Amino acid sequence: MSRKRSTRTGWNIVGVGVFLVMVFPVYWMISTAFKSDSQINSYTPSWLPTQFTLQHFRTVMNTPGFWSDVTNSLIVVLVTVVIAVGLSFFAAVALARYRFGGRKLVIVLVIGIQMLPQTGLLIPLFVLLARYHEVGTLSGLVLVYLTFALPFCVWTLRGFMIAIPRELEEAAMVDGASRLGAFVRILLPLIAPGLVATSVYTFITSWNEYLFANTLLRTGHHYTITLWLSDLTGGQRAIDWGAVMAASTLISIPVVVFFLLVQRRIAYGLTAGAVKA
Amino acid sequence: MRQRLTSGATPYLLVLPMLLAIVVVLGYPIVNLVELSLQQYGLFQLINHHGIYIGLVNFSTIFGDSVFWHTLIRTVLFTAANVGLTMGLGMLLALLLERVSLAVRLLLTVALVLVWSTPPVVGVEIWQWMTNVQNGVLNYALTQLHLGNFIQHNWYTTTVSQYAMVTSLLVWGALPFVVITTYAALSQVPSELVEAAQLDGASAPRVFTAVTLPVIRPVLLILTSLSIIWDFGVFTQPFLLIGPDQQNPSNYLMSIYLYVEGYGQTNFGLGAAISIVMLAIVAVLSVFYVRAMVRVGDE
Amino acid sequence: MKFRGLALLTAALTLAIGVATASSAFATTTHTLTVWLQVDPQQNTAWMADIASTDSAFEAANPGWTVSHQYLPWGTHLQTLDTALAAGGSNVPDVVEMGNTEMTKYMAEGAFANLSGDKSQFANSSHWLGGLTASSTYNGKLYGVPYYAGSRVITYRSDLFAKAGVKGLPTSLAQFQTDLTKVASKEKKVKGFAPLYVGGEDWYTALGFVFDYNGSIAKYNGHKWVGTLDSKNSIKGLTAFQQFFDATQPKSSITANGTTPTPYSVFAEGKTSANYGPAWYSCCTGKNYTKVTKQFVMPSHSKGKSMPGFLGGSDLVVPAGSANETQAVQWIADYTGTTSEKALDAIGNIPNATNLLTNSVNDRAAARSWFVPQAVNWVDVENANVLPTMLRSILSRQLTVKQAATVASEQIASTLNQPAS
Repeated sequence: MSRKRSTRTGWNIVGVGVFLVMVFPVYWMISTAFKSDSQINSYTPSWLPTQFTLQHFRTVMNTPGFWSDVTNSLIVVLVTVVIAVGLSFFAAVALARYRFGGRKLVIVLVIGIQMLPQTGLLIPLFVLLARYHEVGTLSGLVLVYLTFALPFCVWTLRGFMIAIPRELEEAAMVDGASRLGAFVRILLPLIAPGLVATSVYTFITSWNEYLFANTLLRTGHHYTITLWLSDLTGGQRAIDWGAVMAASTLISIPVVVFFLLVQRRIAYGLTAGAVKA
Repeated sequence: MRQRLTSGATPYLLVLPMLLAIVVVLGYPIVNLVELSLQQYGLFQLINHHGIYIGLVNFSTIFGDSVFWHTLIRTVLFTAANVGLTMGLGMLLALLLERVSLAVRLLLTVALVLVWSTPPVVGVEIWQWMTNVQNGVLNYALTQLHLGNFIQHNWYTTTVSQYAMVTSLLVWGALPFVVITTYAALSQVPSELVEAAQLDGASAPRVFTAVTLPVIRPVLLILTSLSIIWDFGVFTQPFLLIGPDQQNPSNYLMSIYLYVEGYGQTNFGLGAAISIVMLAIVAVLSVFYVRAMVRVGDE
Repeated sequence: MKFRGLALLTAALTLAIGVATASSAFATTTHTLTVWLQVDPQQNTAWMADIASTDSAFEAANPGWTVSHQYLPWGTHLQTLDTALAAGGSNVPDVVEMGNTEMTKYMAEGAFANLSGDKSQFANSSHWLGGLTASSTYNGKLYGVPYYAGSRVITYRSDLFAKAGVKGLPTSLAQFQTDLTKVASKEKKVKGFAPLYVGGEDWYTALGFVFDYNGSIAKYNGHKWVGTLDSKNSIKGLTAFQQFFDATQPKSSITANGTTPTPYSVFAEGKTSANYGPAWYSCCTGKNYTKVTKQFVMPSHSKGKSMPGFLGGSDLVVPAGSANETQAVQWIADYTGTTSEKALDAIGNIPNATNLLTNSVNDRAAARSWFVPQAVNWVDVENANVLPTMLRSILSRQLTVKQAATVASEQIASTLNQPAS
C-alpha cells in the first residue's frame, strides 16, 4: 500500500517537472504581457514582471477591431466545430461499422485531403468562392474550415470507434433499440474522450488559422482575430511586443474555456448516462 | 468472427453530408491545381486568366533540379526526427498522466491546453527570445549548469542547429494534441483486463504490449500518419524562426521550397506541380500507417 | 434532448453569419472606390486624419461615391493582390500601395493601368524624386504615382559623443569612424557595447558604401544584365565596408541582419550609441534617452558629402482590371497633392517631390540615394538572399572580397537574365 503511494509521489514529482518545462514558454508570454515596455526591451531578461503594468491589456482592448474580431472568430469557430463534429460522427460510424461499396475510396479521399499542401489551393479556392460572392464573408470561411476539419475528424473518430467492441451495440439492439439509436446511445458516450480531443483540436486549429483567413477575408470587412494579431506586427514601424503578448494571452482564454466546458459536458456528461456493458 | 453490417443505403446517407461538403468546396480547386501544374502560369497569365499548356515540363523541371532532391532528403530526415520525438514523448507523457494524482493531472492538462492554444507566430517569437544570442535564457541556463561556455552562442549558424531549434518548437507545440488524444485512447483500455494481467504476474512492459497496445493501436496509427503529414509540410515555424532572410537552398524544407520557387517567384504553374509532387511523397511516406489503419478496421 | 441545445446554438450562429454577410451586401447600393494601403497609417492618428480628409474631399466632389479602405501587412499584401487579380471583376481594388522594390515585376506583366496620360493631374510631378519615378516607370510609360519615400539617418546619443570628446558632427566617414572608436573606448565597461549597431548581413547599409565609391549592383547593357559588384569601384566600396565593420562591430554582429533585435531597442538598452536607419527610430529609443537623442546624415568617405542612402518608399497604382480608373486617379491626385504630402512630411516621411523637401535631417538624407536594379527578376535575387550571403562570407573571411563579389555578381546576372515567368 505505501509502496503504491511512494511510486505515485515519484510520478507526481516527474509530473510537476514536466509541467514546469512545458509551461515555461507560456509563462514567458503571460509575464511579458504584464511587463513595462522598458523591461520588455531590456537586454537582460527579467524572470518576474517587477514593473507590473496593465497598460498593454488596456491598449489591446481599445485597439479598433479587437472585440468585433474576437466575436467573428468565435462565430466561425463554434459553427465549424459543431457541424464538423456532428457530420463526422456519422461518417465515421459508416466507415467503422459498415461494409459498403466505395468504402476504400472514401477512406482514400479522407486521408488524401489531409495530405494536400494547402498553399497550393489558396488561389483556386478564392476564385471559386468569389464566383458565389463568398469572399470577404464569414460563411465562406466556415465552408473552407469545415472542408479541412471533416476529414481529420472522421479519420480520428473512426480510430476511437474501432476500439469499441461491436457486441455492446448489438446487445442494445437485442433490447429493442434501432441501429442508429444504438450508435448514438451506446457508441457516442464511449468515444466521448475522442470527441473531446477532436472538437478541441478543431476549435484550436480554426481559432489560430491564418492562411485561409488572410486569403479570403482581406477584401471584406469581417476579420478574424488572427488577422488582427498579424496586423499588429505587420507594419514597418516598431512592434509593440507587450501588446502582442497581452493579445495572445487574451486570445488563449476562449480556448481554455472551451476545453473545460467540453471536458465537463462531453466526457463526464455523456459517460454518466451510458449503458454499462 | 465479427461480421460487418451490410445494410443498404444507411452508410451512404451517413457519409453523404461530409462528402458533399468536401466535393463542393474542394472539387474545383483540386481539378484546377492539376490543370495549373500542366501550364505555364505566371503573373501575366494570372492577370489575363489564361495559361499556356506545356504538358509535363514543370514536373521535369522539378525532377531535374538538384535542389529539389537535396531538399527532399533533408525534409524526410527532418520529418522522421520530429515524428519520432513527438510520438515517443507523447506516449510517455500520456502514460505519465495515468500515473499521477488528480491534482497533478489537472495541472498538466491545463499546461497542455495553454501550450496547444498558443498561436504559432507567438510561439516563434518566444523561441526567438529564448535562443537570442545576447540575452537568451538558453545560453544563460546552459552556462550556469556548467554544460559548457554558451555565452553569446548563436544557435542559427549551422543547418543542423537551426533545425534543432525548429524541432524543439514543433515538438513542444505538437505534444498537447498527441498526449491528450493518446490519454483519451488509454482511458478506453478496459481496466478489468489490465488488472487480470497484473494478477497473472505480468510485468508492466508486458501488460503494455499485450493488453494496452492492441486497444490504442488504431489511435497511435492515426496520430503517426497525421504527424508525418503535418511535419513534412510544415511552413510557418521553420520559415519565421530561421528567418525569411536566412532561407537558401542549403536549408530549404519542402514547404519553403514550394513557397520560394512557386509563389515567391509568381510561378503558379510550377507551384502547383510542386504541390502535387509533395502530395505524392507524403502519400508514399504514410502508406504503411494508413494501410495498417484500414486493415485494423477490417478485422 | 441534449442535442436540441446544440441545434439551437448552431441555428443562432448560422443566423449571425447570415446577418453579417447580408449587412456587407447592403454597402454596394452606392459606388465604392476600394483603396488598399499598408498598415503603417493605422499606428499614426495624424496619418489617418490625412487619409480621412482626402476621402471627404473625394466624396464631396463625387456624390454617390464612398471610399472603402483595406490596410494590409507588408508580408502578405502581394499574395492578397495576386489572389484578387486572379479572381478579377469586382474583386480587383482600385488603388493599391506598392513598395518601390515590388513594382517592376508587376509593371512588366501589365498588371497596372498606364497613367502617362494623367501625369498632369498629379501635383509636383515634374519634381518627383528620381528614385520613386524610376520605380514607377517601365518602357518609358508611367504606371504608378510616387507616394512617399524613406531614407536613412544616423540616430545617436549626443551625451555619449560629448563624453568621448567628440566635437561637432563628422563630415567624412573616416572622421565618423574615429568618433565611434573614441566613444567605444569610453564605454569599455558596458558588456556587449557597439558604438554603432549594424548587422553584417544588412545589405541596405553595406551597399551604400558601394554606391559611395560609384560602384553598382548590376547594369543593363542593352540586351542583358551584367553583375557589377565585382567591378573595381564596387570592390573598393565593399572593402571600405569591411574595414568600417571590423573597426566598429563585435564579431557576433556578422550574422545579424540588423533588424532582430531592433536597433532602437538596443539603443534604448544603452548597448549602442548610434543606429543607422529610418528617421522614425527616434520615437522608440527609450524614455531615458529622449532628451539626448539626435540625428545627422551619415557622411560619405568624401568629405562634405552624404553617404548614399537606400531610398525606400511606396508608389500608388491603379490595377489594370479596375473598373473605376478615372475616380482612382482623382483620389490619388488628391492624396499625393501638396497639402497631403506636406502632412506626410510632418509625420516623418519624405515627400514625393524635391520642391517639397524641407531642411530636416530626414529630407537631407535623400539628397544622395541609391536604388536596386530596375529588373523584372530583382525580387528573385532578394528572395534567394544573395546579398546577405555575400556579406557574411566577406565579413567572416570565408572568401576574399573579390571572390565573394564575383560569386554574387554571377548569381545576380543569371537570376536577372532568366526569362520572366
